[in-house]
Amino acid sequence: MKFAYKNQLGVLALFYLLVACNDSGNERPLGAYDTGVLIINEGAFGANDGEVFHLDPSTGILKENVFEAENNRPFAGLLEDIVLEEERLYLVANTGKVEIVNPGDFKSIGSVIGDLDIPRSLATAQGKLFISDYGPYDASFATPDSYIAVVSGLDGGTVKKKIEVSNKPEDLFTVGKYVFVAGSEEGKIEIIDAETETVIKTIEVDGRPVQFFEERGDLWVYAYDSEQVYFQSFHLSDLTKKEYRAFDISNATRSIAFGEDAKMYILTSTGWPDYNDGIAVVSINDGETLIPEWKTGSGFYGIGYDKERQEIYVANAKGFQGNGQVTVYSKSGAEVNTMEVGRGPSGFVFR
Amino acid sequence: MTLLFWVVSVIGFVPTQDTVSLEQVEVYAPPLDRFAQGQKVVKFDSELLEAYAARSLGDLLQEQSPVFVRQYGAGMLASPSFRGTSAGHTALFWNGLPINSPSLGQSDLSILPVEAIDQAQLHFGSSGALFGNEAIGGSLHMNSKTDFRKGFRGKIAQTFGSFGLFNSAFSGGFSSKKFSSKSRFYRQFVQNDFSFRDISQPGTPEVKAQNAAAEQLGFVQDLAWNLNSKSQLKAAFWWNKADREIQPVMGSNTTDQQSDESFRAVLDYFRFSGKSIWNLKTGWIQDKMIFNESLNQTRQFFAASDWDFSKGDRLQFKAGVRGTFVQGDLSTYSATDQRFEFYQSARYDASEDLSLSVNLRQFAYLDNFVPFLPSIGGDWKFWEGDQQEFLLKASVGKGFKVPTLNDRFWSPGGNPDLLPEESVSGEIGLNWTKTGAFSWDQSLTYYRMQVNNWIIWMPQGSVWSPENIREVQNQGIEYQGKGNRKIGLVDMEIGLSYTFSQALDLTSEPTNPRQLPYTPKHQANGSLIAAYAGFSLNLGTFYVGQRAIGTGNARVLDSYQLWNAGLRFSDLKWGKTRFPLSFQVLNLLDKDYQVLYLRAMPGRSFQLNLTIHL
Repeated sequence: MKFAYKNQLGVLALFYLLVACNDSGNERPLGAYDTGVLIINEGAFGANDGEVFHLDPSTGILKENVFEAENNRPFAGLLEDIVLEEERLYLVANTGKVEIVNPGDFKSIGSVIGDLDIPRSLATAQGKLFISDYGPYDASFATPDSYIAVVSGLDGGTVKKKIEVSNKPEDLFTVGKYVFVAGSEEGKIEIIDAETETVIKTIEVDGRPVQFFEERGDLWVYAYDSEQVYFQSFHLSDLTKKEYRAFDISNATRSIAFGEDAKMYILTSTGWPDYNDGIAVVSINDGETLIPEWKTGSGFYGIGYDKERQEIYVANAKGFQGNGQVTVYSKSGAEVNTMEVGRGPSGFVFR
Repeated sequence: MTLLFWVVSVIGFVPTQDTVSLEQVEVYAPPLDRFAQGQKVVKFDSELLEAYAARSLGDLLQEQSPVFVRQYGAGMLASPSFRGTSAGHTALFWNGLPINSPSLGQSDLSILPVEAIDQAQLHFGSSGALFGNEAIGGSLHMNSKTDFRKGFRGKIAQTFGSFGLFNSAFSGGFSSKKFSSKSRFYRQFVQNDFSFRDISQPGTPEVKAQNAAAEQLGFVQDLAWNLNSKSQLKAAFWWNKADREIQPVMGSNTTDQQSDESFRAVLDYFRFSGKSIWNLKTGWIQDKMIFNESLNQTRQFFAASDWDFSKGDRLQFKAGVRGTFVQGDLSTYSATDQRFEFYQSARYDASEDLSLSVNLRQFAYLDNFVPFLPSIGGDWKFWEGDQQEFLLKASVGKGFKVPTLNDRFWSPGGNPDLLPEESVSGEIGLNWTKTGAFSWDQSLTYYRMQVNNWIIWMPQGSVWSPENIREVQNQGIEYQGKGNRKIGLVDMEIGLSYTFSQALDLTSEPTNPRQLPYTPKHQANGSLIAAYAGFSLNLGTFYVGQRAIGTGNARVLDSYQLWNAGLRFSDLKWGKTRFPLSFQVLNLLDKDYQVLYLRAMPGRSFQLNLTIHL
């Protein structure tokens, strides 16, 4: 099995090589980081040692601290999210900045520094950047002043406007001129018109919405609470709710990976004090929980699905004491590989 | 007694301090190392403390001792790491009172100004039997020193420096045959707007540090009375308030503020009779810390008594008991704790050349008994020549640390089931001294230590909770040497020290244990002083080796070496008034360095100090 799989990877690599050599027209040559897996290492609080590692799954070669290696300076932030849009890679640090790099070689092409508080994610629309930000903490560690920051150019610059939204906005998703905001604390989907930079509509959903995804041609949002997980899709014509699924999965977290056939891999954690982590698998196609405990363990901190190789990547933060670990599983659940990565691995970008 | 003299003279920087006599010319302070045979002790002399008066204890320790100080920026949190242990593994005492915060289990050396104390001494290794809680890696003892029969004395000191540094200190005292009083007041301010290369920003521009100003105010009062020929009463009070902006780590733009206010008071009664001294001690410490708007407060009350006596010429004993009552009102919980401890020490001077000591302590807190804590040690002067002497020291001891209030009660996450951290350490040392025109004191120490049940806060989902998980094995070599030589009319003094410290984390990867985070394997200090007719020139350097920022194969920070240089005129006089003047350049070569990852540190800076002794 393993051997066959490796061959497959070889073919894939060859295919990429051909594509890389045959670029024509506007296509640029493939850079070192245009293929493979980017591993988001969030870093530890107070240390700002977030970084990106790059894995070439065909050779197993893992390159550490890619940002620092290519830019001769450390990333210096807690890496919350990586967004690939408009041929740019946006690295969002929740310590208050966005670094913009070329996806192929990771060279810095811009940044948004200053005027951000706790940025969480980013989307591009109408040639602008929209950055979700919790806003500053108040004395009781609440974030009543959350906003979406608007930056005029795709290569960063200064924040020109802050659009007030519900507390703790997370993921953003652009459809045409609309930017959908997952308002996690109050269970709201707010829709921003990217031209007028105003919230034009708010849709209430169940649970804490945290992640948008496309499935079967629709835009969906994933939400959770302590008892259930929820999937809600939207009519894009009139911006109303369309389909809805709920599953009895307790202790779900915001970490989710999207597999084939609308299969979702969701990290669960009982949290303190018992602290048991797990991975539940559901499918929004058949509407039933498939596997409530696909994997169990402790320290799970992120999950990703590699559609090309049909593998599941599970990140373990190892208590943030030092380096974390990534374990790769096949769809059947067999362990394929395990590797030491940076501090606090929390997610993946499959190229 | 000769032996004690040796311990002091060989290891310490004070060349000729004899044991404290019982004549009440001096205010009595129990000698700390009388039962510390076989243990490494470093004393800082008053001249050195005076040179560091306008600086913090953290600077002193980093530049002048084998202790690694984890500095979170200039004037920011600075915590000591003795022999590869953590900040909470160092016991701190002020006039015999343990002053570590009961909620945090450690002290911030940045808010312990050298100005407030007269004496400082470091004890290395686990000495739970001698000093109690938290003396795992070592302990630091600060004391006031006052005298009788000295009349009026006064001092005004002013230091100006780079980055808005403006430190002032006033002290005044009076002492008669029966009564002694010394008051001091200090204010230390620094804007800390130093420039640094911000490597978190594109183009790594040179920027000024923001949100890093610090102000400290303090008042210290020492009092002593000779009640009669046989009894003495001694009191000390220390108020210190530090208001600091917390310098953000590079890449963050936080604007945190922290205010720390401490009241510390101690009252000692000594009764001297023949060959014994009875001491009754009470103390009160109140620590108040406000981080942004969250308030954390702890209060501790101490009551202790011990009896120190000798039997014949060769045997000395000390036995005592101490009760500690702790009340914590933290931002997320309130808790109380009571601690009781019984201790006993014995020393046997087998001959002029050999002395041995045994120390025992039993400690209990709430419903828990800490296992019995023994230590044993000996000093043996095995060779004595005309001008040279060799002393061999060896000791073994246990140490422990009661889980802090936060460890046990923080809500959420506190773990009431935590066990105390425990250590066993042993060391062997060789001291070589030579007198004469070219004199030196040199010591070489090998130590080994094992720390179990080391408490680490681990994330449990979104809540962090402490667990007894880490097991660490430390060993190392410490060399310290100091030499004096007169060349013509110039007095030369050279000091060198080197520390190799291995601290292996046996927990994360037991098959391939690695060095603990932020624990340099190599550290070294050097100093050169040339003095001539009241002028002295000093050059100092210290080196800190590479250290990882996390466990496992984590990022490694570069080593760094810093140089300081200074000029001092100590003989400036006008009538009876002495006014020494000194000028210091810190980080002489303007080295860009980080002690902790992404924590900016200042480049070259200057300090000018004028002191007037009345």
